Amino acid sequence: LPELSAEPVRVLVTGAAGQIAYSLLFGIAKGDVFGKDQPITLILLDITPMLPVLGGVVMELQDCALPLLREVIPTDKEEVAFKDLDAAILVGSMPRREGMERKDLLKANVAIFKSQGAALEKYAKKTVKVLVVGNPANTNCLIAAKSAPSIPKENFSCLTRLDHNRARSQVAMRCGVPATQVKNVIIWGNHSSTQYPDVHHCKVNMAGSDLACFDAVKDDDWLKGAFISTVQQRGAAVIAARKLSSAMSAAKAICDHMRDIWSGTPEGEFVSMGVYSSSNSYGVAEDLIYSFPVHIKDKQWKIVDGLAINEFSRGKMDATAAELVEERDTAVTFLSA
Amino acid sequence: MLTLLTAMYIVVRAASSEADPIRVLVTGAAGQIAYSLLYSIAKGDVFGKDQPIILVLLDIPPMLPVLDGVVMELQDCALPLLREVIPTDKVEVGFKDLDAAILVGSMPRKEGMERKDLLKANVAIFKTQGAALEKYAKKTVRVLVVGNPANTNCLIASKSAPSIPKENFSCLTRLDHNRARSQVAMRCGVPADAVKNVIIWGNHSSTQYPDVHHAMVNVRGKEVEAYDAVKDDSWLKGDFISTVQLRGAAVIKARKLSSAMSAAKAICDHMRDWWFGTLDGEFMSMGVYAGGNSYGIPEDLIYSFPVHIKNKLWNIHDGLPINDFSRAKMDATAAELVEERDTALSFLSQ
Repeated sequence: LPELSAEPVRVLVTGAAGQIAYSLLFGIAKGDVFGKDQPITLILLDITPMLPVLGGVVMELQDCALPLLREVIPTDKEEVAFKDLDAAILVGSMPRREGMERKDLLKANVAIFKSQGAALEKYAKKTVKVLVVGNPANTNCLIAAKSAPSIPKENFSCLTRLDHNRARSQVAMRCGVPATQVKNVIIWGNHSSTQYPDVHHCKVNMAGSDLACFDAVKDDDWLKGAFISTVQQRGAAVIAARKLSSAMSAAKAICDHMRDIWSGTPEGEFVSMGVYSSSNSYGVAEDLIYSFPVHIKDKQWKIVDGLAINEFSRGKMDATAAELVEERDTAVTFLSA
Repeated sequence: MLTLLTAMYIVVRAASSEADPIRVLVTGAAGQIAYSLLYSIAKGDVFGKDQPIILVLLDIPPMLPVLDGVVMELQDCALPLLREVIPTDKVEVGFKDLDAAILVGSMPRKEGMERKDLLKANVAIFKTQGAALEKYAKKTVRVLVVGNPANTNCLIASKSAPSIPKENFSCLTRLDHNRARSQVAMRCGVPADAVKNVIIWGNHSSTQYPDVHHAMVNVRGKEVEAYDAVKDDSWLKGDFISTVQLRGAAVIKARKLSSAMSAAKAICDHMRDWWFGTLDGEFMSMGVYAGGNSYGIPEDLIYSFPVHIKNKLWNIHDGLPINDFSRAKMDATAAELVEERDTALSFLSQ
């Protein structure tokens, strides 16, 4: 029996009784995210009416007989959930209900993420890494960061890795190669339909050599047209087919994102993350959570600088930034309300 | 010199090219258990980190749109080992050239349905699937039946595929096995993998017998017999057993849905151990053909036994002493299986 003498990491998942968490928790508890030798204390937060369902999830995690899972703590209380955290994956958010205006959705979510940001400030370790998944992810992330002023803004990120993986996969299928042979796609901006999947710097490994994506695909119209809209609208396409949202692939993307934060990105490869835009060199407005291409090392991300941006890309990057500025300004009015 | 370099290049290329993909079928592929399962298979957790996979997904025609959504998601997972995904509602596509088949889909119990009706409906399904295995799959195919009633469905499939060795068929009791391990582990305050050699005997139903007379618990570096580690015989012979037997219902009651996550994990454990073998000194629980068993269990059943596995072949772990308490429970679950079998066979010949 290998001695697992490492201290367990404390990992919170919110919306823990829901679909995405159900696909995610097993991957975390198995060691796919924080490492094969890293024991885990898993904290599961959801709203009070969901506690019985959460009880069932705890039973199942026990029944998985996973050696790394030291403890599972189900709760509806923030002071329990956010205590001494090393990592927080904020999946839970207010879903859009029928008849709900975008403004109402923002208002409801500001309330949630203001509270959770404050709880991070009050209870979590200052080194906590926070991944916001619940939509609108970028703006929810910004609100949480603003509500936790003594935690570095760099510790907060939102998920655009699902879009990133979808973009890789679309190019891979087009070229007839495995998705892992497609590198350095970029998702710029908002995790919404204004996101910009950019393959100008992407490389495809075909027959042993790395080709620029545009040369590998040989279909500029597709790459600047249907490819972009396919990735942007993929979530809706999955919902239309499954009648449920894309929990499996979202969970995979969450694992990829957190694992890369924890163990770093490979040399020469960058991934997409929604991160704080201050001091960025791409002319994107400051004080946003905006998806950029990043390298990660020692649990720190750095935006990949110096990539050439043509007019086509510029237009799209600006459009998604404009949407984020509008979302932010609306959200911030609710923050001070 | 040039020839030598060329030869070296070819060797390097051959070494770096991957193994031939294996063809793996999952039925009930649009359903809940499959949704928790497919990702782990495609990731390499079952058949190995270097084994490419062709994943064949079978479900009934009304579920084909949902299946398309599942295919989209598997693509969006960007998994290197997943060579191809084939969604289908046709057995001749589903069962062709299979290396492995995980039969999750079965007729669920509907309100007002008698046990007999449930058996009849499932006999029809597994007779067809057994015949399809016979007709289309490789003779080396390994078949894991999950859909309930798992043991009897497995027996029917096996009988409908006479030229595939009976040893290639098994049913899932690994979930019960993992639950038993976990209950003992929590009781002893140790991680679940510190508990070894629990046994699930019999039917994957409420008559299953979780037996820890031969289980060992690693307590602070020392191997201790489970009864000595737990120090609560009446729990081990009472509530422990009923908790494991009724765990599925407890999860459904809490979640309002069945235990897909933990079932998927158990399926992965079962198939992985079948593929790569069990560790020395450890046995696992599998529902397997009882023919030739040394525990006095009636032949011609699929019955869960403790097994070792090596080279993709399982062997029942023989020679374990069986006391009166265990004997009665092993016999009770066998009796239920005999009754299920006889009812099922009457439908088979119709």
